[in-house]
Amino acid sequence: MGVIDLNGLEVRLGNRIVLDGLTGSLKGQAIGLLGPNGAGKSTLINTLLGFHAPSKGTASVFGLDSQRDRAQVRGGIGYMPENDSFIGNMSGVRFVRYMAELAGLPAGEALERAHEALFYVGLGEVRYRKVNTYSLGMKQLIKLAQALAQGPKLLILDEPTNGLDPMARQRMIQLIKEIRKQGSVRLLISSHLLRDIDETCDEVLILKDGRIAALCNIEEERRSNRSFMELETVGATERFTVSVQGLGCECACFPGGRIKLVIPDHVEVRDLYVIASEQGVQIRRMNRRRDSLEDIFLRAMDNELVRGGAHVSL
Amino acid sequence: MSVYKHIYRAYDGKVTPVWTRVLVLARYGFAEVWSSKITIGLFTLCLLPPIVFLIGIYLANNPIARALMGFRGPQGLTIDAKFFLTLLEVQSWFVLPLASWVAPRLISFDLADNALPILLSHPISRFGYVLGKFIAIFTSLSFVTWVPCLLLFAYQSYSSPLPWFTANLHIAVGLLAGELIWIALLSILGLAISSWVKWRVMATGAIFAATFVPAGVGGIVTGVLRTKWGFLLNLPFMMTSLWHRLLDAPETFRGDHWLPTEAIAAMLVVACLICVAMLNARIRAREVVRG
Repeated sequence: MGVIDLNGLEVRLGNRIVLDGLTGSLKGQAIGLLGPNGAGKSTLINTLLGFHAPSKGTASVFGLDSQRDRAQVRGGIGYMPENDSFIGNMSGVRFVRYMAELAGLPAGEALERAHEALFYVGLGEVRYRKVNTYSLGMKQLIKLAQALAQGPKLLILDEPTNGLDPMARQRMIQLIKEIRKQGSVRLLISSHLLRDIDETCDEVLILKDGRIAALCNIEEERRSNRSFMELETVGATERFTVSVQGLGCECACFPGGRIKLVIPDHVEVRDLYVIASEQGVQIRRMNRRRDSLEDIFLRAMDNELVRGGAHVSL
Repeated sequence: MSVYKHIYRAYDGKVTPVWTRVLVLARYGFAEVWSSKITIGLFTLCLLPPIVFLIGIYLANNPIARALMGFRGPQGLTIDAKFFLTLLEVQSWFVLPLASWVAPRLISFDLADNALPILLSHPISRFGYVLGKFIAIFTSLSFVTWVPCLLLFAYQSYSSPLPWFTANLHIAVGLLAGELIWIALLSILGLAISSWVKWRVMATGAIFAATFVPAGVGGIVTGVLRTKWGFLLNLPFMMTSLWHRLLDAPETFRGDHWLPTEAIAAMLVVACLICVAMLNARIRAREVVRG
C-alpha cells in the first residue's frame, strides 16, 4: 500500500475530462506533483481531499478511499492551498487553533499546538496580530502552520513558494526539508517550480493533459544515470577508447576527440585518468551527466509516453 | 512542552468525535457574532418588548397594582391568546434586524478571505458547515424569541390566581412553534443571502429586501390580477396569518385575503428549498468551471 494509490482515476468537470485514467502508487516520503498549467495537479489534490468525485476509478490515501472514507482521509491530511485562504479578522493563533479543533484536537491541545506551530514556522512574534495584516510571506506561513498544527499523516502543499521572495522561499524550502527529515509526515508538494521539487522531493509524478507523463523516484533516476559521461580529449583517441573498452566501458567516438562513455559500477573516474596518462591523451573536459529533474520533466513533456493509464517509469 | 522549542512533533493524542466538529463551527460562529457591540445593542433592544409585556402580566395579576392603575374588576388588561400573539408579532419583527446583522457575520468573513477550501479540507462536510453556522444564528435568535416568550408564559401561569396553565397550554405550543418556524426561516434566509453577498452591509440590506420586496411584488400581483394568491409572496402577511392560527387567536384577515394553511406551509417550504439551493451553489471548497 502506497501513500497515495490511483486506480484508473478519471475525473470529469462537466463534459471535460480533467484527469484521465491515472494509475499508480506513490510511496515516497516527499512526493512532487509537477505539470504545466491545466495538467490536473490541483484537480488531483482536490480529488484526494474529496472535493471532486471520480467519474471512474478510485483514489485512496493510506488505503482509505478518498470519497467513501472522506472524513477519515481528511482527518489525516494537512492541506495548504495555493491561493489565499484564511479568516482575516481572526488573530493568527486563533485561526490556527480553530483549524486544529476542526481537525479533531481537543480545545486545550489545539491551543497548545497552535502556539507551537506558529513558533515553528516563524510567526511566533506576530501570532496575536490579525491575519489580514500579515504580509504575503506570512500568509503562506500561516497556511503551513494550520496544516501542521493538527499533526497530519500527509501534508499537501499546493505551490508553497508562490509569491515568496528569495529569502522567504529559502525559509519555506528549509521548513519542508525539516518536516521531511523528521519522518512522521509524508508530503505531497505541487509546484510548477522544478527547483522546489528537486530540492525537497524523492519521488515525482508528472502530469500532462490529465494523464501521467512520468512517475519516478528521483534518486533512483539519478543513480541509474550516474554512469553516463562525456569526454573531450586531445591525442590518440582511438587507442584510448580501446583501452577504456578493456575496462568494460561502452564507448562511442565522435569527431573532435569527443567520446561518450557508459561506465560500469566498478570503474572509477581515476581509472580513466590513469589510462589517459599512460597513453598521453589529454582529457580537456569531463562532463559527468546526471539526469536532472528538468531532464525528466522535459522528456516527459516531449514524449508523453503514457496513454490509457499505463504506468511508466522514465 | 515549551512553545519556544522550534521543532515539529507529530500529534498522537486524543481526537474528538467527528460529529462534534459541527459544534466547533457553531462555537466559533457564536463567538464571532457576539464580539460585535452592535450585536449586543440589537440583542438588548430585542429584550425590551418582553420586559414591557412582563410588566403587563404583572399588572394584570396584581390587584394592588391594578387598583393603583385605576382598573376595576376583571376588565382592562387580559392575558390571553391575543396578548401573546401581540408579543409574538412584536418580538418577531424586532428580531429581524438582529438576524440581518448576525447572519452576514457568520458567512461573509469566510467567503471574503476564501477560507472555505481550508475549512472544508477538514473532516467537516458542506452540510456540517452550514449546520454549524445555522446552530450559531438559531441559538442567538432563540435567546430573544421563544425563550423569553415561554418564560413570560410560565410567569403568567405562576402569577395567575386561576388554573390558567392547563387551559392555555395551546398558547405555549403556538408560541414555540411560531417562533421556531420564524427564526428557522430567518436563519436559513440570512445564511443563504450572506453566502451570495460578500459585503456585510449589503448582505444586511439584502436580507431586509428579501423579506419585504417580494411582499410589494405580491401586492402588485394581487392588485393587477385580482387574486389573493399574490399574498403568497408576502412573508409578513403569511407569517401573521400562521401565528394567528397557531395561537388560535381571532384572525384579522378574512374573506378575499384568507390563505389556506397548506398554501402558506408549502410556500415556506419552497422558500427554504430556494435558500438551500443558494447555499449548495455557494458553499463549496472549489468553484468548478464546467466546460
